[in-house]
Amino acid sequence: MAATAPFSKPDKTSDHAMTRRNFLRGSVAVSGMAALAASLAPLRQLKDFTSTEEFLQKYYKELTPEDMKKVLARIERDVQRQYGIRPHVRDLRPMDGVEFVYCLNLTRCIGCRKCVHACVAENNQSRNPEIQYIRVLRLPHGSLDIEKAEHRYDPKAVPEKGYFYMPVQCQQCENPPCVKVCPVNATWQEKDGITVIDYDWCIGCRYCEAACPYWARRFNFGKPQIPQERLNPEMAYLGNRPRRQGVMEKCHFCIQRTRAGRYPACLEVCPVGARKFGNILDPESEVSYILREKRVFIQLKEEMGTSPRFFYYFDK
Amino acid sequence: MNFPPPPSPGRPGGKSDLVLAVLGVAFLTMAGLLVANLWGRTPARPNIPLVEVKFLATTPWRQSYAALVAAKEDMSDYDCYGCHEKDKPPPIRYDENHKILIPKEHSDIVMGHGSHDRNNLCYNCHNEQNLLTFQVRDGRELKFDNSPPLCGSCHGPTYRDWEAGAHGRISGYWDARAGAAQRLACVSCHNPHAPRIPTREPAPGPHSLHDPQRAPSPAAGEPSH
Amino acid sequence: MTTAIRNYGTFLARCARVAFVGDARYYGWMGLLTAIALVGLNAYCKQLVDGLMVTGMSDEVSWGVYIANFTFLVGVAAAAVMMVIPVYIYNNEELHDLVIFGELLAVAAIIMCLMFVTVDLGRPDRFWHLIPGLGQMNFPNSMLSWDVIVLNGYLLLNVHICGYLLYMRYLGRRPSKWFYIPFVFIAIVWAVSIHTVTAFLYVGLGGRPFWNSAIVGPRFLASAFAAGPALIILALQVVRRVTASGTAADLQDRVDAGGLPGRPARADDWATLARVLPAVGGVSPANRDKVLAAATVLDVAAGEVLLRQGSTSSDAFFVLEGRVVVKREESGRTRVTRTALAGDQFGEVSALHGTARMATAMAEEPTRVLRLPAAAVKVLMENRELNQLINSRMTERLMITDRALLTLRGIVQVSMIINVFLLANEVFKEFYSGNLHVASSKYLFLGLHGHYALVPWIWTAVALNLVGMVLLILPISRSLKWLDVACVCCIIGIWIEKGMGLVIPGFIPTPLGAIVDYSPSLNEALVCFGIWAFGLLCYTVFLRMSVPILQGRLTKANERPLSADAA
Repeated sequence: MAATAPFSKPDKTSDHAMTRRNFLRGSVAVSGMAALAASLAPLRQLKDFTSTEEFLQKYYKELTPEDMKKVLARIERDVQRQYGIRPHVRDLRPMDGVEFVYCLNLTRCIGCRKCVHACVAENNQSRNPEIQYIRVLRLPHGSLDIEKAEHRYDPKAVPEKGYFYMPVQCQQCENPPCVKVCPVNATWQEKDGITVIDYDWCIGCRYCEAACPYWARRFNFGKPQIPQERLNPEMAYLGNRPRRQGVMEKCHFCIQRTRAGRYPACLEVCPVGARKFGNILDPESEVSYILREKRVFIQLKEEMGTSPRFFYYFDK
Repeated sequence: MNFPPPPSPGRPGGKSDLVLAVLGVAFLTMAGLLVANLWGRTPARPNIPLVEVKFLATTPWRQSYAALVAAKEDMSDYDCYGCHEKDKPPPIRYDENHKILIPKEHSDIVMGHGSHDRNNLCYNCHNEQNLLTFQVRDGRELKFDNSPPLCGSCHGPTYRDWEAGAHGRISGYWDARAGAAQRLACVSCHNPHAPRIPTREPAPGPHSLHDPQRAPSPAAGEPSH
Repeated sequence: MTTAIRNYGTFLARCARVAFVGDARYYGWMGLLTAIALVGLNAYCKQLVDGLMVTGMSDEVSWGVYIANFTFLVGVAAAAVMMVIPVYIYNNEELHDLVIFGELLAVAAIIMCLMFVTVDLGRPDRFWHLIPGLGQMNFPNSMLSWDVIVLNGYLLLNVHICGYLLYMRYLGRRPSKWFYIPFVFIAIVWAVSIHTVTAFLYVGLGGRPFWNSAIVGPRFLASAFAAGPALIILALQVVRRVTASGTAADLQDRVDAGGLPGRPARADDWATLARVLPAVGGVSPANRDKVLAAATVLDVAAGEVLLRQGSTSSDAFFVLEGRVVVKREESGRTRVTRTALAGDQFGEVSALHGTARMATAMAEEPTRVLRLPAAAVKVLMENRELNQLINSRMTERLMITDRALLTLRGIVQVSMIINVFLLANEVFKEFYSGNLHVASSKYLFLGLHGHYALVPWIWTAVALNLVGMVLLILPISRSLKWLDVACVCCIIGIWIEKGMGLVIPGFIPTPLGAIVDYSPSLNEALVCFGIWAFGLLCYTVFLRMSVPILQGRLTKANERPLSADAA
């Protein structure tokens, strides 16, 4: 030891001292290992393990139909294990000749927030920590300055005098900044205009959340909690299947409904019919009519060049 | 050739041994503290009550005549000639401000159609000759379950929007190939006697992750915590 | 080939062994860092279990101190080149050996960067989705994928350059320029790119007006080129202090043996020289005789001094047997700058250039040296191989001179002035135009709607930056004490300015106008401390390995198995 290690104590160091030194080094190493093991102790609480199957799962666009069948079966198993409910999970693809557009009538909206909660219920969002795709802003009459927005208005009754309400959710931009920044292509725009997220591919870097000019993206900061009795078993892979901790999610125009021809949940629950949805490529659709006939409609933060597929309009 | 190692840069002797001994004890203590999990415990999740089911309901807040019929509800309110005499239009009385005086038999009706009481004449819509129908200004008679054209006779642009699907509630299928869309009539949402939609209690607002009690409100100008 | 691998294995093994051995201070320091790193690891395990809700981040402020530290450390890594440029482009000899310390700092900083990014991920188990080929890399669209490439590339470049130079020094071979000079130049460009790309990470986000400003890139570079060299100035002084092996007084009373008459050199001395320095074999007999005629042989006892720092003489020395240690006195302390073993020369630089001795050479054991006047060395150097060898060794000196530190001071000074200037530009543009987008700046500098969380931070940063800049401009910072104060001011000031002052306010108010304050949670802070401790641990280990190699105390020549073979 002394001869090989050029920095140990050579002179005056007796064998006895060397033995003591080596013993001490050994015990520091052992207690260090003990401290290392102890520092890893919290991992005992780790319950939400990733299965090998899930860990090795391929990218959505590379999955063959057979792969997808297996993946959907795995998701159904996982949901059943966690919630005791057998879900119906589908991989719904965009339809030909369909491009979705959403129109929201600011004259009508009364700010009742029913859309927020219908969305949460439909899309199996975590109740705690709370994740909501729609944020309803209260703005004073005469201003569209979002910095004057109040998020937590809590009056006895809505609408309140002197205010109007503007629900904001994913604007399904034609030029989405969130897609551009994702380092792993975990989010992309489909041909029907919906920007989707592969929850099994997202690494949780939250760059998209920083990039979104509409604050439309949400992150699962903790393990999502959904009460079993409120789980919506009608699910889609890119839609409302339960998410894991640590991934992004956002409004996807209720893919599990809209790609099956139905209206989104937020639209159906709106008590005043302020929400309109449809296929812009169909000239007979409500949204085509609105964009043709209404003189004032707003694409939020138009100057960003994001070109949202979500239009706000007034009819009085 | 054998090189004896050069002297160590450090001071020889027991100081290193002492440090090593201290380190050994320190690491063991640390192991104990870490296992005991004394600091940095994850805070418990705050209590966020589940939203009441009433806020999730998609049913309209009132039922139209057609819906009542479909639901086989009590229709006695619509049996006008149970009280009124046929061929004898009921008279309408006004106060000195030309505000309609609603008889006590119809005290459930609050008349508020149009600002400044501009539309307070019952027979603008009801047919005095046949109380079971509506009369439109163009002379048509409409049944109770076909009221939208009546509304449309005044609210032209809104009626046009409604017909195009741009006004009013819709549910079901946007894609006709997959299923039918259910459209609601005007009176499913608007009380024809007082069409302005009443105010209502809003559903609970959002809770922020770390301070679920406190609102992120820039405009309120509340003091920082 | 197998020998090469075995040699390299031995090299690594010996380096590793060195890392575990040291004096009391070393054990104490490493133990402390290990303990902090383990506390950080523990905190990270809690985060793995419960998710990022154990941090202070939220959907409103979705990046926090992890990314702030990442941004700062990318700058530190990039700044390592500010040592490289003077050396390789302007041939600054003073900084030559110090480049390795700068590059090792870059390596440690990049390791910390990668760790900070990893702890910020929601699903670190899916890291492989980022690997090109295996996963999906959104290149060239995503600035983050650029960052992954440039950071890892920069890490590899620096590991290669440091590793190669150190290994060659260990082998006692002259590094082949082709193996590192091209990489050095790539690394210079690359360093600028890593920080520019990191700036673009923010600049590219149109939805965040606070970041979406072209000046952020230049500001990043300026602040990095101030904070990085400032850190290196401090690190070099620490190295200088902890590698000091005594005081100037220790050398004062030693016997001066270098000037003693000695005895004339003989043919067997030449044979000894040829054995320990095989290149001598190529010297022509005529030249050999010339050299021998001028040479003298000295036998000195351990502890006797052969030449003294500051003195002048025209003699150079070759060690025939034994060991000579070369020590430099810097700021009252002496430090081994290298070790001359049999076959090595010393004293040739000042002999050839006629300058004052740069260091003191002292025999560490009974030693026999060959003393040559400058003229004789020149004769030796007529042989091409010897010329190269002697020249190459001339530059191999681990000097940390005050002059080198002051060269770095110049860099920090200029960068700091530019940094403060650019910051002032940004502040002017924000507040004078006063459009809607001023909200984030208002929140940062003045507070907004009753929220003042960042105001004390940014004014601390502004004050520290200004104090640091003024100190650097004033001549008092030519004294190391004030220079250190200025450096500490700059480092802390820039850390706040780039971290709490740039990353956080970009999120406040949110694009929907909500103001949610952010402050790191205890657990989050512990993870940060853990990563910093681990990074410092890495840097300490790197220095622990490289200093003895640079000093010539850890070389292939003193490897036991081979010396046994030779015996």
